Amino acid sequence: MASLESAPAVALKAAPARSRVPGGAALGLGLLVLALLPVLMGASNYMLGLLISALILSGVALAWALLGNLGGMVSFGHAAFFGVGAYASALLSAKLGLPVLLTVPLGGLVAVVASLAMLPALRLSGPYFALAILAYAQIFRILATEASWLTGGGAGFQRYPGLPNVFGLDLASRTGSYLLLVAVVTLCALAYLAVRRSHVGLALRAIAESEDATRVVGVNSTVLKSLMLLLSAFITGVFGALNAHIIGFLEPDYAFSGVWSLMPIIAAIFGGYRTIVGPIGGAVIIYLFDQVVAKSLIAVGHQIILGFVLVVMVLAAPNGLLGLVRKGDRHA
Amino acid sequence: MLRRAVAAASIALATLAGGPARADEILVGAHMPLTGSLARSGQAFDEGMRVAIQMFNARSEKHKIRLQVIDDESTPAKAVSAVEKLVSDGAVAVIGGYGSNIIGPASDASNRLKTTYITAGAVSDELTARGLKTFFRINNNAGYQRGMGALLESLKPTSVSILASTKEAPALLAKGLQKDLAAKGVKVTVHEFDPAITDFKPVINKVKLQDKSDILVMSAYENDYVGIIRAAKVLKPPVKLIVGAWSLATPKMYSEFPDLMNNVVGTSFLPFPVEMKDEEGKRFAETYKKTYNKEVEYLSTLSFVETTILAEAIARAADAGTLKSGGLPDAMRQTERETLLGPVQFDATGDNPRFSVAMGQHRAGKIVLVSPAAAATGEIVFPGLPW
Repeated sequence: MASLESAPAVALKAAPARSRVPGGAALGLGLLVLALLPVLMGASNYMLGLLISALILSGVALAWALLGNLGGMVSFGHAAFFGVGAYASALLSAKLGLPVLLTVPLGGLVAVVASLAMLPALRLSGPYFALAILAYAQIFRILATEASWLTGGGAGFQRYPGLPNVFGLDLASRTGSYLLLVAVVTLCALAYLAVRRSHVGLALRAIAESEDATRVVGVNSTVLKSLMLLLSAFITGVFGALNAHIIGFLEPDYAFSGVWSLMPIIAAIFGGYRTIVGPIGGAVIIYLFDQVVAKSLIAVGHQIILGFVLVVMVLAAPNGLLGLVRKGDRHA
Repeated sequence: MLRRAVAAASIALATLAGGPARADEILVGAHMPLTGSLARSGQAFDEGMRVAIQMFNARSEKHKIRLQVIDDESTPAKAVSAVEKLVSDGAVAVIGGYGSNIIGPASDASNRLKTTYITAGAVSDELTARGLKTFFRINNNAGYQRGMGALLESLKPTSVSILASTKEAPALLAKGLQKDLAAKGVKVTVHEFDPAITDFKPVINKVKLQDKSDILVMSAYENDYVGIIRAAKVLKPPVKLIVGAWSLATPKMYSEFPDLMNNVVGTSFLPFPVEMKDEEGKRFAETYKKTYNKEVEYLSTLSFVETTILAEAIARAADAGTLKSGGLPDAMRQTERETLLGPVQFDATGDNPRFSVAMGQHRAGKIVLVSPAAAATGEIVFPGLPW
């Protein structure tokens, strides 16, 4: 399976070190800081808007890292799940009149159904799997374009419901959307944590170490990896659906944009894709750094700064930001 | 660690706080795609806006406007963030970027913030169907359809082949043209293509061998035009004219692709060399040339007009003392004037129902307006092909 073979040993050896700081506590603390950020920042719509975008990226980065870390597969096609979730939720709410809070998880489920078509690709490994899933995203983009009777095609799809009011909290407001996303990211992170701590997680880490050896002791690696693909697709679909209802406009080029495949990879690797907090923190940090710091320094072409930072980061800390922090702690 | 975090947060806050409107100026915000694949369009829009503000400030003694532009990177979420930042900085209105997928969410955000939003870069009918009170646009799909349709009808073809990108604006235009021409008894064949396609020979072969149409219509963008005409020049389908939409009949296209453009027709507002009939147009052309050392461009003209209209409405609202109390949308609805694009007047949905484009034909480095008759600066060469 795909080429993450170099790191599993590190992951398995690092497990005792992680156990000193309970993962759930670190996760809870990190997400609490996230939840408090709007208060610290004065809760301007602008800052909340940036955080909302960063959290959507966080969710997809988390899903990507889950597939990469536990499933051992490198995906360049998460845009497919993102777009399918987005269109499914928008269409279900607009055409069938289902409540948005129901269509969002349904969007995730439709992404799961869509990912079933990817199962044959699990037989591929390394770059072959990556290429197959990349092509897969393109197929869905073209389908969304051609099915104009349903999706509006290239002209886009706009008139569908936004996020609703729940117990007096307007989820469509910046504060409401932000809190909803913090909650969903937390739920997804906890689900990831639960899987990693379960027997399934142990088996998956063993598969990543040596798939042949794990098969010998009776572990069905194909089923377990399939489950990770489905879970990753579900999470990505849910964030695609949330993004669709927050943005309020869908078109194939946007919903299935390569950005939804590429940016989560960058964010996860930047933060440390073998951890749970890493992809979330990585997404928030690079998005805010790019939009707030880099953009204020170079208004047009600020991506250059982000590019340099990423290159330096990959060279200095191949295990991501969290790896760098841990390395620093050990040296201290 | 904590101190570092607080310091970083302080820097971020200080950065965010930058750029509020000065007391003696009225701030107008804009978000444009200044980087990425649409950067060329965004740059042209940016130039037109700046010239419009420069000219408005020069002639207005009472009111001075300052323009703040943010790169939206052609991303809806970043466009929304840009609107929120501009409004928090004190912008009384926002000029929108390019593409309905960007304009839709950005103008929604602007409406939530009760801030007037104007665009010249989105033609989707869904935008005006929302009925937002703060949303305005000067151009629309219907206007492009009217302009191109009028030319095509006047040439009385028996059959037309339309090559249409599946992107939003070209797809809408192709659909509209197909409907209009079919209603007039013209046989229309539409060939949709993915925007990623660069080799158009297979589809041109269909036009040549199956359609055998009189006119080849392109509803697409610059790179597509070049690919289509290049393929047509190789395969030479039996068409009598090649007609395209926006950003085709421009001096830049001819200077970059002189072997492909001769006799090709596209939507246009101005002939080239630029011949301005009115005083405003002459001043615009002069100021533009002086500032950017080039002739006015198609998109710059669009953004010049929208910015000028907005600036005038701001002045009216400021004079009436309603600028800060939500009076700008009403002032916008009072707009009724001739512009470089023709008449502009907003209906209840914020659309400009009087928008219509002229058609210009490339003629050995010049652009001759050939339709409608009222705007024409010369006769169309028909049949006329680049080869």
